[in-house]
Amino acid sequence: MIDPITRLEGHGKIAIFLNDDGGVANVYFQVPELRGFEKFSEGRPAEDMPQITQRICGVCPEAHHMASTKALDALFHVEPTSTARKLRELLYSAFFVTDHTTHFYILAAPDFVMGPDAPPAERNILGVIAKVGLELGGAVIKTRHDNHWVIQTIGGRPIHPCFGLPGGVSKAINEEERAKIEEIAKSSVEFGKLSLKVFDDVVLKNKEYLDMVLSDTFTHRTYYMGLVDENNKVNFYDGKVRVVDPEGKEFCKYAPRDYLEHLAEHVEPWTYLKFPYLKKVGWKGFVDGKDSGVYRCTPQSRLNAADGMTTPLAQEEYEKMYSTLGGKPAHYTLATHWARLIELLYAAERMVELVQDPEITSPDIRTIPTATPDEGIGIVEAPRGTLTHHYITDERGIIKKCNLIVGTTNNHAAISMSIKKAAVDLIKPGKEITEGLLNRIEMAWRPYDLCLACATHSLPGQAPMEVTIYDAQGNELKKLSQGI
Amino acid sequence: MKTLVLGTGNPIVSDDGVGIKVAHEVANQFNSPQVTVAETSAAGLRLLDSIVGYDKVIIIDAIQTKKGRAGQIYRMKPEDFSFAKHLSSPHQINLVTALELGKMLNLVMPQEITIFAVEAKDITSFSEKCTPEVEKAIPEVVKMVLEELKC
Repeated sequence: MIDPITRLEGHGKIAIFLNDDGGVANVYFQVPELRGFEKFSEGRPAEDMPQITQRICGVCPEAHHMASTKALDALFHVEPTSTARKLRELLYSAFFVTDHTTHFYILAAPDFVMGPDAPPAERNILGVIAKVGLELGGAVIKTRHDNHWVIQTIGGRPIHPCFGLPGGVSKAINEEERAKIEEIAKSSVEFGKLSLKVFDDVVLKNKEYLDMVLSDTFTHRTYYMGLVDENNKVNFYDGKVRVVDPEGKEFCKYAPRDYLEHLAEHVEPWTYLKFPYLKKVGWKGFVDGKDSGVYRCTPQSRLNAADGMTTPLAQEEYEKMYSTLGGKPAHYTLATHWARLIELLYAAERMVELVQDPEITSPDIRTIPTATPDEGIGIVEAPRGTLTHHYITDERGIIKKCNLIVGTTNNHAAISMSIKKAAVDLIKPGKEITEGLLNRIEMAWRPYDLCLACATHSLPGQAPMEVTIYDAQGNELKKLSQGI
Repeated sequence: MKTLVLGTGNPIVSDDGVGIKVAHEVANQFNSPQVTVAETSAAGLRLLDSIVGYDKVIIIDAIQTKKGRAGQIYRMKPEDFSFAKHLSSPHQINLVTALELGKMLNLVMPQEITIFAVEAKDITSFSEKCTPEVEKAIPEVVKMVLEELKC
């Protein structure tokens, strides 16, 4: 039998350096980065970008497709029709339902349902379903399957939609499709409610887990970012980027075209992946607080950065969450799982609103662009953070320059800080470093819904992670690998 | 027998696209109402969604092994990955877990799954072309898939 090691260069690496006393001196987190995308895109027609950029990632192609399509609207100076906007948001909401469902049940739930110290062979979706019930397992599969059908029906293809065009979309939906989407949307609302009940039963009613969620080990006080509508309510598809400070006060709110005025990127010698930060605050290192430009954009951050949700059930859950967590903003990284489920419910409710809109079956789906292209920036919320696409073209629309800031990159500094804090709190002199400890450290970064792009479809199929622990002299003490 | 030929990988990341290239070539050379040829860049649950309802599934993907030679072809069964279930943390589910999950939930799962994996050289550079070593292996993999379809 051969010995598959998956993507040798594609796995995440955490290096933990101990001090002379055996405590943690420093932690480095490295994620793989594919090389040369900017170069690859140069010289291509801009209209190809929604197809090309969605291939970057096996996890969230729909998010890239949507950010890219919006960048094309801006590039060609064209406003999509009202129906086109609604169809885009409808597809995007279905995508959020599937993606958040996957993250919660595959990645988050095993830690809480099976317990953080359960052996890895049990701490997975099979264990969760065996414990919680086949009925819930069936609902997870059905919700994902149905919403993929919605994505395929509106987007033209499963997984990689091909409907986004500058000024609109490529096809309308008919009444028969609309009626089926409505049925799926309503069923997804019920699934969202069920998932929040599971969270309530498993996590909130368990004092040990709630204490862990609220513990300092998993807490950081940072700035928070998210897209908001004109009333400062959460919106995944469109709006302005709003940033609140660690006390919850609005720090800035900007249109996509102004993103470079607000963000800058810090570089470290030990990783190729950059660390974006708030330019007007400045880079002060991997530290919390109002004086540090580190920000987060996760489901929790989006809720922190907004004044609420536009749909009734999600708003109710939003209020319950902040009341339980002691007010806004919430700094508890593990509560991100809770926020993600509130977003899932919001996405499903938003699907119902959009699919019941009389305009949704209108054939008016495209404004034909007539202006000369030059520069365009599109921003959406990807499930794992704010996603920015920026293109500069010549007058024929051929890409001269391309810049992308993806969700995981936005959170890079915060992820590094979260891992370090967990490692510092959990690795103590004289304490054995075990598999369970590795999982607790993983729990610090799992809420960020990390996207290790090139590892996502590898055989045998998991995103591998390697943790190496070194002593004060730099000798390797222990290496724990998962999926490598 | 309802059969799916599924090329997996990323067509814009060098050798990672080999599975998809093979699938395209199989589609050009083989036509049967019983056989669907598709491509995906997904894993885990999305892979499960793709294979449910088929009797036989042939997956083609890139792989990197410890001592592999670029372009080397492996014919494998899901059992060859079974140890991975115990190695895995719940980042994503692997093929074996996805199959077990399908059985657990009484989904119509394929009776037969064969995986053709091609040893990759470069899986981190953006390019629509495979490296020469992997490119050279494509006709052979296509032949093996076509043989498998005749079984």
